[in-house]
Amino acid sequence: MKKTRTLLTCLTAVVMTASIFIGCGSGSSNANAPQDKADPSGKTTLTVWHYFDGQQQQKAMENLADKFNKSQDKIEVEVEFVPRAELTKQFTIGLVADKLPDIGLVDNPDMASFAAMGLFADITDKMNSYEGKDQFYPGPISSCQLDGKYYGIPLGSNDLALYYNKDILSAAGVQPPTTFAELKDAAKKLTKGDTYGLAISAPKNEEGTFQYLPWLLSTGAKFNEVGSAAGISSLQYLTDLIKDGSMSKEVINWTQNDLEKQFVTNKAAMITDGPWIIDTVKKDAPNLNWGVVKIPKDKVFASDLGGENWGIIKGHHEAEAWEFIKFTQQKDNMNAYCADFGYIPPRKDIAESNDKITKDPVMSVFLDELQYAMPRGPHPKWPEISDAMSTALQESFTNAKAPEQAAKDAQVKIDEVLNKK
Amino acid sequence: MELVLKNKYSSEFIREERKGYLFVLPALIFMLAFVGYPIIYNFILSFRDVNVTTFSQAIKPFVGLKNYIEVFQDPTLAISIWNTLVFTLGSISIQFVVGLGLALLFNMKFKVSEPLRGLMVVSYLIPMTVTALLFKFMYSTSGGIINELLMKAHLISQPIGWIIDSKTSMFSVILTNSWVGIPFNMLLLTTGLSNISSTLYEAGKVDGANVFQRFFKITLPSLKPAILSVLVLGFIYTFKVFDLVFVMTNGGPVNSTELMSTFAYKLSFTQFSFSKGAAVANILFAILFCVSLGYLALIKEDEVMG
Amino acid sequence: MKKKFLNLNDEQKNIVLCCVSIFIACIMLFPIYWIIVSSFKNNAEIFTSPPTFIPKEFTLESYTSQFTDKNNIVVAFFNSCKVAFTSMAFACILAIPAAYGLARFRMRGKKLFIIIFLTTQMLPVALILTPMFLVYKNLHLLDNLLAPILSDATISVPFVVLILRTYFLAMPKELEDSAKIDGCNTFTAFTRIMLPISYPGLIMTGAFSFLYAWGDLAYSLTFLTSPEKRTMTASIYNFMGKYGIQWNAIMAYGVLLVLPVVLIFIFLQKYIIGGLTNGAVKG
Repeated sequence: MKKTRTLLTCLTAVVMTASIFIGCGSGSSNANAPQDKADPSGKTTLTVWHYFDGQQQQKAMENLADKFNKSQDKIEVEVEFVPRAELTKQFTIGLVADKLPDIGLVDNPDMASFAAMGLFADITDKMNSYEGKDQFYPGPISSCQLDGKYYGIPLGSNDLALYYNKDILSAAGVQPPTTFAELKDAAKKLTKGDTYGLAISAPKNEEGTFQYLPWLLSTGAKFNEVGSAAGISSLQYLTDLIKDGSMSKEVINWTQNDLEKQFVTNKAAMITDGPWIIDTVKKDAPNLNWGVVKIPKDKVFASDLGGENWGIIKGHHEAEAWEFIKFTQQKDNMNAYCADFGYIPPRKDIAESNDKITKDPVMSVFLDELQYAMPRGPHPKWPEISDAMSTALQESFTNAKAPEQAAKDAQVKIDEVLNKK
Repeated sequence: MELVLKNKYSSEFIREERKGYLFVLPALIFMLAFVGYPIIYNFILSFRDVNVTTFSQAIKPFVGLKNYIEVFQDPTLAISIWNTLVFTLGSISIQFVVGLGLALLFNMKFKVSEPLRGLMVVSYLIPMTVTALLFKFMYSTSGGIINELLMKAHLISQPIGWIIDSKTSMFSVILTNSWVGIPFNMLLLTTGLSNISSTLYEAGKVDGANVFQRFFKITLPSLKPAILSVLVLGFIYTFKVFDLVFVMTNGGPVNSTELMSTFAYKLSFTQFSFSKGAAVANILFAILFCVSLGYLALIKEDEVMG
Repeated sequence: MKKKFLNLNDEQKNIVLCCVSIFIACIMLFPIYWIIVSSFKNNAEIFTSPPTFIPKEFTLESYTSQFTDKNNIVVAFFNSCKVAFTSMAFACILAIPAAYGLARFRMRGKKLFIIIFLTTQMLPVALILTPMFLVYKNLHLLDNLLAPILSDATISVPFVVLILRTYFLAMPKELEDSAKIDGCNTFTAFTRIMLPISYPGLIMTGAFSFLYAWGDLAYSLTFLTSPEKRTMTASIYNFMGKYGIQWNAIMAYGVLLVLPVVLIFIFLQKYIIGGLTNGAVKG
């Protein structure tokens, strides 16, 4: 009678318990046990994960690996592409399930979080004995640090600058602006018909924060001072541009690549973007007459740091991985791959001796900006801080809150995150 | 087959039951084994404190209901629950009505009905990510094809900010989701319609029922089990929708399209507050669980029938 | 609307219905037209205002670019096929009997079973990924096509069970009774009589399982890490990234992804129509 019912419940319970064991396996055991891949040929194989999806960039990564493999025969490097949106997930899942590469590439603001989660190996000792250590620009190298220790090394850097359409500007009799006030004026004059004077990218994610930061930093406020008087003024300034009509409200939905499309179709006379779109612009609009200047300043020139860092996964062939990384840092190799990626070498000695960068009218501006480029954070809880900022940006732009209110609310959230640490 | 049961559990019954189990158990065990663990994992995760700082610890601290309390205090949760409900009910209503209408229309077997019906399925075939990008593109305020067409037809004078205006963003995602889901409803209802024998309709006509009466008194009741399944499954699937909204609006502008699924994802994978993400996912789970209990109550009659 | 045509004769009915449905189809399918058209434009033209309905510069570039490169779309296509077909077959083998069992047999715990099938659907996919990853790791199935095959089946199985159950319920019991009289046992009654008669429903649910596995992105992306094992859906990320969304390539990719399936579907229609009219006559 009741027997079958009980039998049934027992069966269900057994199956579910069994599945726990299937799942639990090594889940709670040491997820960072060192991996020793015994290769029949005696070589150690290293896997590198990256998220560069452009064909050119993928080839560049592979070339780098090939060169290294040919230069010695103890280590074999394999490069694997994991789509950007997936990489965070894969690292996280990999941490739990211990299926990780040996070297991972991350966007520089993410490094602190992953380091805190225990993904990357502490390479402070290796760095301290590395001659190139002091050659790094302050921005890039600080993004590799957490609590005074080094967890990675910069791959390449870039930053934001102001692109402008030379023809539209000269037609309106406007000079490329250098201050906030000049920008406001210029944007207004350049807005005609279908064309907006300025466009930035302001979605409610890391990209939006990235685009907002130069404006914030230029007023003298630091990344955690959105709610200060200076911070509020930066938010107000940008919102006013929308109210003026010089900037489209649609920016809250545009990515930096959408900006490029707006620029080449003459729908935006000026945009803030980075060197990675240069090739696309040349391809989409070969006849466009354009130039680049520093982002106009309020009190100081500012920009923020883009670019990626390498990190060695904890417990995964750390010595061999370090060999590969040192190889990539050699002058010729670095210049080669930076050219392919549209990067600026993160090291002063290499960047400033590279004519292609210093003598190029466009790249030299980005190089110049690099000295003012501040990293985002770095802080392991950066994503939450970033979220507060891009939310404030959106709230102001859509008029959901007044800039002052939005900034103050963001400040509250940021303080909470920083205090919790 | 008439079974007169004196004893509720006659040997006849047991034999039938055993055969039934044989049919059902493989699928059941499969599902429990592969999905059972994730559900339990998620459940446990929500009671521990797992975030960036505790991730590397071997034993994660147990914090009881703390995550749930924090999540409930976040105003975004209430917004996301409301949005998810609006999104789901809105999508289902449109999908169901249009799907039913199309099923009935194509059932009338005129010349082009088959190939057309086949073509309509396309919207369901396109991966959600591509659909989301396509519509994001078409919804662009300036230069988007939808606004251009509406303005050319003089239906609107100003372009509408479909996905950048908080007032219209929810409607826009509902519309896109419905576009995707209509074939699903249409096809399943068509299969249900095919089971209604034409003799019923003829009998109805003989009795003098007009078109509407035939629809409400014959078609709908015969379709009832199919309708119930379509609605319940539709509700569950739509409630979970993630890719579409995430790619199109990312929950914006300003939370107007933030669903529980996008909120949970952001908590887990963007902010690395895994426990809170799991907590939100469990709340979503709980809501859906209640809905399916409701479904069970409604199919009580089928038990007797079957 | 459509029901007022009683006053017209059959031929006129036919024409009106044709017109109405073509009109509706045009509206519903407009986005598809837009995808196709955009796939033939070059990147810059996609954003011109006002948008062009026929591309000014017709280019096949977005299509040709899909076929170059070592992990190209042909490899991905075959991977998608393997995953989709196997997943569908697996799901059907498990789920069709289950649906039949739930429809035809009295048993205790029926409601419990239905609830189990429903609840296994209720967690958002993105959040099941981590624990599922763990399961596969312990089964050593990572980076193996079996992983997404099984995961996709976890969505198809409950779906098939629940939909087919209502379908079987609507079939008259006399069918099995007469089969049994003719000497079949329960199992052969199922395989020889029920299955063939219910094939519209079977095709429908089989088609959905296939489609779901074909279009799945999350599972194949997470569990298949080697580029040469990736399915077509995962390849979409080749066109989306930090450095830009190549709209025309994505549109072309969308067309290529959907085309084979649409063709299959249109052909299937013939069999479904046969089945549908069959079902009605059987009465």
